[in-house]
Amino acid sequence: MSILLDRTNRVIVQGVTGQMGQFFVEDARKYGTNMVAGVSPGRAGTTVGDVPVFASVRAAVDATRADTAMVFVPPAAVLGAALEALECGCKLVVATADEMPVADAIEVRAAARANGAVFVGPNTPGLISPGKAKMGFMPSFCYTQGNVGVISRSGSLSYEGSKRITVAGIGQSTVIGIGGDPVKGTTAAEALELFHQDPDTHAVLYLGEIGGTEETFVAEYASRRGAKPVSALIVGKTAPPGKKMGHAAALIGSRAEGHAAKQKMLRDAGVFVADGLRQVVAATQAALASRKQTASVA
Amino acid sequence: MMMLECDAKRLLASVGAAVPAGAVWRKGEPAASVKVAAYPVAVKAQVRSGGRGKQGGVVKAANATELAAAGKKLFATEFGGELPEVLLVEAWLAIEREAYLSVAVDGRAEGYVVLYSPVGGINIEEGAPPARYPVGAPWNFRVHELRAVLEKVEPDYQWREKVIALAQRLVRTAAARDCTTIEINPLVKLADGSMIAADAKIARDEWAHFRSEEIAAERDAEKARADEYLRACLDMQHMYVKLDGDIGIISGGAGMTMAAMDMVAEQGGRPACFLDCSPGPTSTRGYRPAFAMLDADPTVKVIFVSVFGGGTQMQRVANSMKEVMAERNSTKPVVYRLDGTNIDQVPGIFAQFGAHNHASLEEAAAAAVKLAGTRA
Repeated sequence: MSILLDRTNRVIVQGVTGQMGQFFVEDARKYGTNMVAGVSPGRAGTTVGDVPVFASVRAAVDATRADTAMVFVPPAAVLGAALEALECGCKLVVATADEMPVADAIEVRAAARANGAVFVGPNTPGLISPGKAKMGFMPSFCYTQGNVGVISRSGSLSYEGSKRITVAGIGQSTVIGIGGDPVKGTTAAEALELFHQDPDTHAVLYLGEIGGTEETFVAEYASRRGAKPVSALIVGKTAPPGKKMGHAAALIGSRAEGHAAKQKMLRDAGVFVADGLRQVVAATQAALASRKQTASVA
Repeated sequence: MMMLECDAKRLLASVGAAVPAGAVWRKGEPAASVKVAAYPVAVKAQVRSGGRGKQGGVVKAANATELAAAGKKLFATEFGGELPEVLLVEAWLAIEREAYLSVAVDGRAEGYVVLYSPVGGINIEEGAPPARYPVGAPWNFRVHELRAVLEKVEPDYQWREKVIALAQRLVRTAAARDCTTIEINPLVKLADGSMIAADAKIARDEWAHFRSEEIAAERDAEKARADEYLRACLDMQHMYVKLDGDIGIISGGAGMTMAAMDMVAEQGGRPACFLDCSPGPTSTRGYRPAFAMLDADPTVKVIFVSVFGGGTQMQRVANSMKEVMAERNSTKPVVYRLDGTNIDQVPGIFAQFGAHNHASLEEAAAAAVKLAGTRA
């Protein structure tokens, strides 16, 4: 299995006629994503690839029974587009935009909750369930189907981390980019909970950064009884305090948000912490091995 | 992006929060031109970095002579590397007590959080952590919920009710005006029991520039403060932080850029910067100013290009590198590590201008560190 996304999701793309939308439709279909419709106001009746385009999410959902939305519209328009998808019954909404105002993200997150749906983003490459479907523009060759769930605050780092474990023969159930912003549609805690419930996920690899408090969720999960083993990498060892390192949330505001404190907190919680990218494979192998030991003891 | 105290207080005053009567004194204006209603006054350096109070950035002046002397001194002093362009001259307050109040965006709260400490002032970080009310979405603020939190730490009920009323207004303001932090420290009680914001820090969300004239202006001002090279990079939406090493990193994605920095350090080198070029066009137009800035920076000995792209297609990046290299005058060596979508097309393009793409981040970082060592 996987979390949130597989071949059964019926996906619409909002902003389908834009450059990213067109690239995504072609790339994601090739991968197996069940792309049922595009939405672009004023372009109803046209097609992208051979995907039909509708003027509204309502029209697209009525015609195609879509249940999942990919939002590829400019940052200022994400709030409106995401709310439209949520209120038309989409149960998974992914927005990749990396310049979405945080006040808008707060509103979309609240709307997702109220509608019993999941919002992934903003500022994320999306998510992929290898061998099944992808929602985002991650390079497909970095992934292979398997039993490690990957959670990442950063897009390109998730490609790098996933490729490393793929090359080492470790496949992934789902790789989810939770994004680099302070308020996330899906938090590390929520992603961990989803992986915890997924029988095909045997261990979780968490790719984090300095700044913010997301890593406390990871430590809390790892210390829980019956938790699946977790490996982790925190980047930003060389980042100075008080400076925003690209991501709005990647700013060391207090000592607890620094690299050493986060590594220690995770280690103390029983997480297999990689000290640098070169140790990601070994840490993940150790996490998987610890599960086998626990299983054989039980 | 951090606002100056004087601008933050103007915003607070506009939503009905009490702030001291004050006058703005710009660099170059004579002391006599500053409108002072009554002495003594507090003369406060207007800078964006924190810790100003501890660095002597607030000076008391009892008369016009002292005001002139304070101005002369403060305009000539750097605070956190920043020379003040503006001073704020305010009525000196008869402080009865100092508290702390802030409203901030908080991931755990899924929105906003209210923080309050009954003891405020410059040593706030050393005291007990403030009481915390996770609001979440701004419309979820409830007076009675904050009251229940504050009852545990603030026994003065009259003061407490004033704090609650102010906090409610600040949460609404943060949401409506795209503030990620509104911090009032100290929040002062005067001898007559009234409440006033003696200092204020407000950070605005730069991504709300499209709906806020003030934020757009602040972004422009930030660019205007940068030198020509950095300005060209900021025009391309690049994100830059200067570091103290000699290996200039051009990368894409915040996590990947930090991973490249860390890898350089792991291989025994020192990164010269964080330069994330992914938000802008990943074309020649985007990379040209990045190279121009690092080529012009005398502390940079080697340029390390590390890009792992998904939506960013590698054949485009490789072609951009080819074009930039053809027009570049610098002899600083460039080390490449590209990977991601269409990576199979990169070796052919690199062969056209004699570049080599390293197979892994560690290999490329090691090569960059070695080159930096030979150019000491």
